[in-house]
Amino acid sequence: MAAIPDNVFFATATELNARLVAKEFSVEELARAFSARLDQLGPRYNALALSIPQYARRQAVAVARDLKNGRLRGPLQGIPYGVKDLLSVANHPTTWGAKPFAGQVFDYDATVVQRLNDTGSILTGKLAMVELAGGGGYRFASASLFGPGLNPWDRTRWSGGSSSGSAAAVAAGMVTFAIGSETSGSIVTPASFCGVTALRPTYGLVSRHGAMALSWTLDKLGPFAHSAEDCGHILQVIAGKDSSDPGSAGKSFYYVPQYARPMKDLRVGYAPVDFDARAEASARPAFQAALSVVRQTGAQLVETKLPPFPYGPILSAILAAEEASSFESLITSGKVDQLADAAQIAGLKAAIELPARDYLKAMRLRRLIQQEFQKFFSQVDMLVTPARPGPAPKIDEPLDGAAASAPTPPSDPGFGAIIPAGNLAGLPALVVPCGFAGNLPVALQFVGAPFSENTLLTAGREFQQLTDWHRRRPPGL
Amino acid sequence: MKLTRRKLASALAPALLATRSARTGAAQTAAPAASEALDGARARIKQNGEILARQTVPGDTEPAFQFKA
Repeated sequence: MAAIPDNVFFATATELNARLVAKEFSVEELARAFSARLDQLGPRYNALALSIPQYARRQAVAVARDLKNGRLRGPLQGIPYGVKDLLSVANHPTTWGAKPFAGQVFDYDATVVQRLNDTGSILTGKLAMVELAGGGGYRFASASLFGPGLNPWDRTRWSGGSSSGSAAAVAAGMVTFAIGSETSGSIVTPASFCGVTALRPTYGLVSRHGAMALSWTLDKLGPFAHSAEDCGHILQVIAGKDSSDPGSAGKSFYYVPQYARPMKDLRVGYAPVDFDARAEASARPAFQAALSVVRQTGAQLVETKLPPFPYGPILSAILAAEEASSFESLITSGKVDQLADAAQIAGLKAAIELPARDYLKAMRLRRLIQQEFQKFFSQVDMLVTPARPGPAPKIDEPLDGAAASAPTPPSDPGFGAIIPAGNLAGLPALVVPCGFAGNLPVALQFVGAPFSENTLLTAGREFQQLTDWHRRRPPGL
Repeated sequence: MKLTRRKLASALAPALLATRSARTGAAQTAAPAASEALDGARARIKQNGEILARQTVPGDTEPAFQFKA
């Protein structure tokens, strides 16, 4: 048996696949090494929901046979991955991170799991998450069946939510890539806090069949990985029409960076205040240096503004109405009281009383937001802004504590509301690590028009050719 | 020393009573906290509704979801 070198745990999928094809080590050896690492490190960061080494071993044997017979299925073949525990894996527990669903088992695979398995990726485990993806509005990082998600860069900090385990597992090299979900910030936030690359795809591009429904008109699934290029390869596999998902856009995605417009041909919108007064002081040097790198790509930076709407209240109304319907029986049965976070319990109970007029008004405003973003993206090709204004908060502090104690925000809102705005309009976003605030990573996000993933991935790839933040490893790992 | 069931019950009674009253006390303090949290959540929904009500939307704007027949 070949010894698995330590550097495989932080290699990109493309690199690992090349080494598998070159027979540097076998698929079985790789799967065994990653399964052992997930078992060892997963509990240390509360990142692991379920380890499935035997499942992985069976898959690895089949993939090894394919490789031996020359059946090559692309850069994800033989690559270990994990999925957020809101995705069903046939005959294995799917807890949605919540005590009332701790014993839940489905008899079918989620479409994304099926597609990744069909391409020869090796599923080694299910990853921890905030209970019910946090839709009720949680107040503490401990709002999870698995305990608070601990950050691989500093265990006294939060890994972010709700895709806590997906981000932490990639950051700590427990899996080469992971699938998470976003309704409003659940991919962008943990990717930023854990210093990994991640993509929130356009609404409807990736099937949600087999995923927990929090909000039918907002939920999206996307990858966490070690590079923008890997995100492109993963998206190519998981995207595509699925008649089992009524929200499916019916579109495929082909990762073709060679045909995408280079950054030097693009107009990139930004708001200077985002990189200055709106950013936490400790993160400003990193954000400003990152903006210089974007400029260095040759992109034309254009000062611009977010169309003015009350994005937060609009998103809250839509999310509350849809989650209350999705979890109606949980709420009315009283089982909602078994959740870990008091604010989340209260949020779900109150959501069931939301007036229909609020939901419909919010959905009508959402139409106007979509129209405004069409105009916006006729003026710029994408926008760039910090993924989060600062690094991960401390694990035990209330998540609304920082906002309450923050100094008065500047009058210019910049792109401060881009997370609810982008989710309301179904826009894709790519998160790339861009430096550190102290010992903690921070990140940029590139946000584009619907179905502009190739443009965003090209921006990310060019940014990562000029920087090595995505190659950094947490201390001791 | 041998204890009959009755003697054991009477010996443990004060401790059980203390435990029960401690639990009840905890429940009594938890209940207002939960009720406050619920009131807070309801107030946020109401406040959001007021913000939405202030927004003007052209009459021909349909909600942003699609029904396919």
